[in-house]
Amino acid sequence: MAAATHQYGDLATQLLTDSRRSTATDTLLKYNDVLVRSIIREQRQLESLLQTAISSHPDEATPNPLLPTILLYQTAINRNKRCLLAYHAHRIDRLKDLYWSVGGALPLLLSMPSVGPSHTGALSPHEVDFLRSYNASILALRTESFSSASSLSQKDAGVLTEDVDLMAPIIKPPKDLHVLVRVVRDCGVVHTEQGAIDFRRGHRFLVRRADVEHLIVQGFLEEI
Amino acid sequence: MSNWLDDLGLEPNEPRAGPSFIERVRHAPDDDDYPIPDNFGGLDRNLLGQDGEEEETRFQQLIRHWINERQAPDILPGQEMLLGRILDHVRKQSDDVQLLRADPDSSEDEHFRIMLVQTEIERVKFVIRSYIRTRLFKIEKYARWISANAEVHEKLSKAELDHARRYARLTEYHFNQSVLQSFPPQQRSLADNMPFMPPIVPAPDKLRPVFVHARQECPPVQLPDGTSIAMEKGRISLTPYYVVEQLLLRGEVELV
Repeated sequence: MAAATHQYGDLATQLLTDSRRSTATDTLLKYNDVLVRSIIREQRQLESLLQTAISSHPDEATPNPLLPTILLYQTAINRNKRCLLAYHAHRIDRLKDLYWSVGGALPLLLSMPSVGPSHTGALSPHEVDFLRSYNASILALRTESFSSASSLSQKDAGVLTEDVDLMAPIIKPPKDLHVLVRVVRDCGVVHTEQGAIDFRRGHRFLVRRADVEHLIVQGFLEEI
Repeated sequence: MSNWLDDLGLEPNEPRAGPSFIERVRHAPDDDDYPIPDNFGGLDRNLLGQDGEEEETRFQQLIRHWINERQAPDILPGQEMLLGRILDHVRKQSDDVQLLRADPDSSEDEHFRIMLVQTEIERVKFVIRSYIRTRLFKIEKYARWISANAEVHEKLSKAELDHARRYARLTEYHFNQSVLQSFPPQQRSLADNMPFMPPIVPAPDKLRPVFVHARQECPPVQLPDGTSIAMEKGRISLTPYYVVEQLLLRGEVELV
């Protein structure tokens, strides 16, 4: 490490630049494992410096002459910690955005080229774990919610959740019942209102929006 | 109820802000549940959309709560009963639509109306979805604050509260796994509040300014500089959220 030009907190600033870049370009950058590790190393180093500074003056009656030094170390430690947490929180927010943008299809999300399989892709293993648990929590929420809401028909609680697909997009309100779609990727036979349709690549169909909404969201179909 | 009659008379020449979204919806010709014979909505249905201050339909209530929820910085009390009723209604209408569609005797005109109803159902579902997702967004954002503050719990449904708790645990676990566990033990706390730093547990910012529209005559509210302001009906102001919080909870004002 080039100690001559290095200041405490420099690395954390780099990490934040990463987050900012990710927001600006609206992409998920690769998890910066190297940088995170070196900041953690810096944290440990700072902590030992701090401890030596404190213990060098055991007399509690007079003020420690190293107080400014201690304050400096303490500030650096706090800043690094917050930067690290901010970096991870920011990534979680981005991941959640991605998760909702594909309609909660976790396997699809994890196999996307921009995200990639866990060992080579942009996610840290902990983030994959996070997404899995998050997905489970959302699924639980979907089955639970409305069960208390519909006091009038307890037995149909499950049906109600199917009625309103939480995962469908909430950007634009639906204007038409039907939608003209082009099939971008094969997605096999889907049961719709007009019966089963075999969506083959390149074909076009006029179908009920509610029947294929999730396929549009997941990128199998494209609206024309 | 005397003042709404007065208002009715004053309305044309009284200078006031344009009708709120709710009012525009109320006067829109294509009423939510117009063509369906089944009179599920009961008393508060208004088929012809007459002028005046008739009670709002359930869907209009939902739209009001939806817009409030989207504008308010804090989490508002969940409208579970309302949602449940509307969902029941939606399901009933879907069933009716299925029946009518299967009926070979229905005319061309009726088919057109059925289509309108179906479209409207989809749009109602959209609002429900957006409402739930808006709450979900806030719940996740403030998950750790929610699980620490018991007085917020009653605003959430059981499912939402469970999710908030799970989510708070999940983020804490994630931070621990990816950052904190590698730190020296003295630095691992997730609860420290530093001077001059924003708090580590984000809480709703009740100072955030909101546009508020008085739905009825309201008692005066205290502004931050000590003066008080009477919110007469139809008035639109920009105030910090906490000023109108109580009025909003009582439904006397709406956010726009």
